[in-house]
Amino acid sequence: MSKTDNFVFWGLYSVAWLIFVGLSIEAGGLLVNFFFSLYNPEFIQNLYQKLDLIDMYQNSKLAFFGIYSFILIIAVLKAGLFYAVIKLMHKMDLSKPFNTFVAKQILQISYYTLSIGFLSYIARQIVKSLHHHGFVPNNLNQFWADSQAFILMGGVVYIIAIIFKKGIALQTENDLTV
Amino acid sequence: MAIVVNLDVMMAKRKMSLNELSEKVDITLANLSILKTGKARAVRFSTLEAICKVLECQPGDILEYVAD
Repeated sequence: MSKTDNFVFWGLYSVAWLIFVGLSIEAGGLLVNFFFSLYNPEFIQNLYQKLDLIDMYQNSKLAFFGIYSFILIIAVLKAGLFYAVIKLMHKMDLSKPFNTFVAKQILQISYYTLSIGFLSYIARQIVKSLHHHGFVPNNLNQFWADSQAFILMGGVVYIIAIIFKKGIALQTENDLTV
Repeated sequence: MAIVVNLDVMMAKRKMSLNELSEKVDITLANLSILKTGKARAVRFSTLEAICKVLECQPGDILEYVAD
C-alpha cells in the first residue's frame, strides 16, 4: 500500500474513533436522561441537546416513550455502527484483506446503516403524523436527519459486502489450487 | 469431495517422501500437503504433469473418482 493510502487510512481510523466517542457520549446521555425522566418527570423539560418533551409527556405518555425509544435506539445504532467500523479498521490486514472476518464486518456495517436509515424514516413519519396535536417540538428532526442518505449508504455497503464475499470465495479457490 | 487423491499411495510405491517430492516437483510442501490431504479444490495440469513425471505414473494413478 502506498504511503498516501496508509496515511489516509490511519487518518480515517482516528476520525472514526473521535466520532465513536462523540456518539457514545450522546447515546449514554440519552440513556441516562431516560432513566432520570422515569423517576423525575420534571427532567423531561431539559433533556439532551436542549430537548423539551414535557408537552408530549403530559399529553400522551405513549407518544413520549415511543418517540424517545426511537431517539435512543437510533443513537445506540449509530454508536454501534462506528464501533463496527473501528473494529474492522483495527483488525483488517491490508496486505491480505480478503477474509471472512472483513466480509462479516462489512455486512454488519450495512445492516447497522440500513437499520438506522429505516428507523429514522419511520420515526420522521410518525413525528409528522403527530404534528397536528401541537405537542411536538421543532428540534426533534436533528435525531433523524438524512434517513434517505443512510438507506442509500446501507444499500451500497451491502452490495460491496456481497462483492467482497465473492472475492473471498475466488481467493480461497485460488489458494486451494495446487 | 468426489475426486480422491491417492498421492500417498503412489509416493509409498516409489518410496518417496513428501519433502523429496516437493523438491523434485518444485511445489511448496504446504501445497503438496493440501493436495495429499484432499483439501485442494483444483489442480493445474502443469502440477499434475510434474507429479506424474517424477512419480512415473499416470494421472489416473493419483486421481480417483468416488461417487458421493
